Amino acid sequence: MSRWQRWDETLGRVEKFLLAGMLSIMILLAFLQIILRNVFSTGISWGDPLVRYLVLWVGFIGASLASKEGKHITIEVFSRWFTGSGNRYLKAIPHLVSAFICGLLTFAGWTFVQNEAQMGGATFLEIPVWIPQVIIPITFALMTLRFGFRAFAKFAMIFNPDNFSENGNPS
Amino acid sequence: MILLAVLAAVLFMLIGVPVFIVICGLAVYLFFISGIDLSAITIEMHRRATTPMLVAIPLFTFAGYLLSESGAPKRLIRLSNAVLGWLPGGLAVIALICCAVFTALTGATGLTIIALGGILLPAMTRGKYPEPFSLGLLTTSGTLGLLFPPSLPLIIYAIVAKVRIDQLFIAGIIPGILLVVVLSVFSINRAVHNNIPKTRLQISEIWSAIKAAVWELPLPLVVLGGIYSGKFAVSEAAAITAVYVLIVEIFIYRDIRWKDLPEIMKKSMVLVGAVLIILGAAMGLTNYLIDAEIPMQMLEFFKLHIESKILFLIVLNIFLLAVGCTMGIFSALVVVVPLLSPIAQAYGIDPIHLGIIFLANLEIGASIPPLGINLFIASIRFERPVLKLYVASLPFIAILLLALALITYIPWMSLALLK
Repeated sequence: MSRWQRWDETLGRVEKFLLAGMLSIMILLAFLQIILRNVFSTGISWGDPLVRYLVLWVGFIGASLASKEGKHITIEVFSRWFTGSGNRYLKAIPHLVSAFICGLLTFAGWTFVQNEAQMGGATFLEIPVWIPQVIIPITFALMTLRFGFRAFAKFAMIFNPDNFSENGNPS
Repeated sequence: MILLAVLAAVLFMLIGVPVFIVICGLAVYLFFISGIDLSAITIEMHRRATTPMLVAIPLFTFAGYLLSESGAPKRLIRLSNAVLGWLPGGLAVIALICCAVFTALTGATGLTIIALGGILLPAMTRGKYPEPFSLGLLTTSGTLGLLFPPSLPLIIYAIVAKVRIDQLFIAGIIPGILLVVVLSVFSINRAVHNNIPKTRLQISEIWSAIKAAVWELPLPLVVLGGIYSGKFAVSEAAAITAVYVLIVEIFIYRDIRWKDLPEIMKKSMVLVGAVLIILGAAMGLTNYLIDAEIPMQMLEFFKLHIESKILFLIVLNIFLLAVGCTMGIFSALVVVVPLLSPIAQAYGIDPIHLGIIFLANLEIGASIPPLGINLFIASIRFERPVLKLYVASLPFIAILLLALALITYIPWMSLALLK
């Protein structure tokens, strides 16, 4: 296993832990708000915005993990029919394109967060609004790395098939 | 140039570039040539991802995954077997109902065929159903139930088309039941025709099957009761459903152990992430298209060539079936809905009815050869050649198209419960 793959696995575990933790908080907080509102006619003022930002984080971390696990929604008409060597190129190009676009989006997300930080808005509990938003460039950067590495591994497999196992990982 | 970019996008999509990458790429290109800062794409993504309505998506999806990993599917099959098994074609009807319920809960993501197909196909073979019949039924049932709340496509449609989720939830009930009923009638007819053996009705088995599933039976009430009575918003109903399912499956049935929870949470949230990022990506693109008045130009083109509402609906049906067959449900929803809904409104189609038309078309399109995704999932799950599934699904698709015509041309079915 290469160093990158070990790093990818560790990162995956951290993401899984974050997803489970945040989803649990989301469920409990959303439920607590219902009880507070209906039984005690009150509510936590920062509860609803926190739940909304948790959805943002869960969504983007989930998308990053989807890149790791190949779970993004694709249409992929050709590979339903083609198998074999032609398929290898069909598998490598999408990763490369994805890495490129994610790179641009990382940059776009970074500009967005910088602008928000300059404007200095605040959200619940006086937290600066760019802090919850920073997850967008972070996860896009992770997706860039993940797609990029997979593209690299696929191309390496095409040019040097003996050194690589079937699933596209260096052996 | 723009046409070239769109063609390149389609080509990339076909070779398997993730849909959200293609949509973002197109948006990046269009924003770049019109001199708009790229951060506008992330601004739209952020805005879409923090809409209050969106909270319902992770909560319902998690509840659905939790149920699918628990013993609930088995209890559901047992109960419907006890109640309906004695009917001619009973097992086929059971398969239809279970697939519909399961799809509503897990959001039409191919899970139905993978999770239930493995139990139902051997059961139908043992029940002496002809194999092509069983294969066709289970393949086309992969998206059956998409019109029932709280299915993910219903929520996505409501968000993209900016209609009320609670109304859409209620509007889907009669058309959803219609689809299950027409397929059931067809199955019973085939079963009688083929002399499929029946089982005996046992009251004691019904009783014990009800007792076994007693905690899951109130679920439709938990999901819909609060929404229908207007007491809870959809996101609140989602939170209540998630907590209810957690308590029932972990503390009462003990089907799910604590240590399994993180894995189930991760699996469901990866799906949520994959769907939300498409939703966010499409927002930037569609806002650009609306600013460029693309829907208005399309509308003028339509008005020039299509005069009557009926003709428009026919064209819409054919187009959406093709889109559902090629693009898949989620991609089609986020890309096509914003473009077509202003046009449909100009033809005087109710936005809620339009939603049901959209979803019914996409649901059926997912089983239509040559590219419907259900056919490929079933081919992998049942280890049969895709060609065989093409043939097996045809009679079921024909029946579904008949029901689709009723849903499309009788708005009453979608709107009756709303009044």
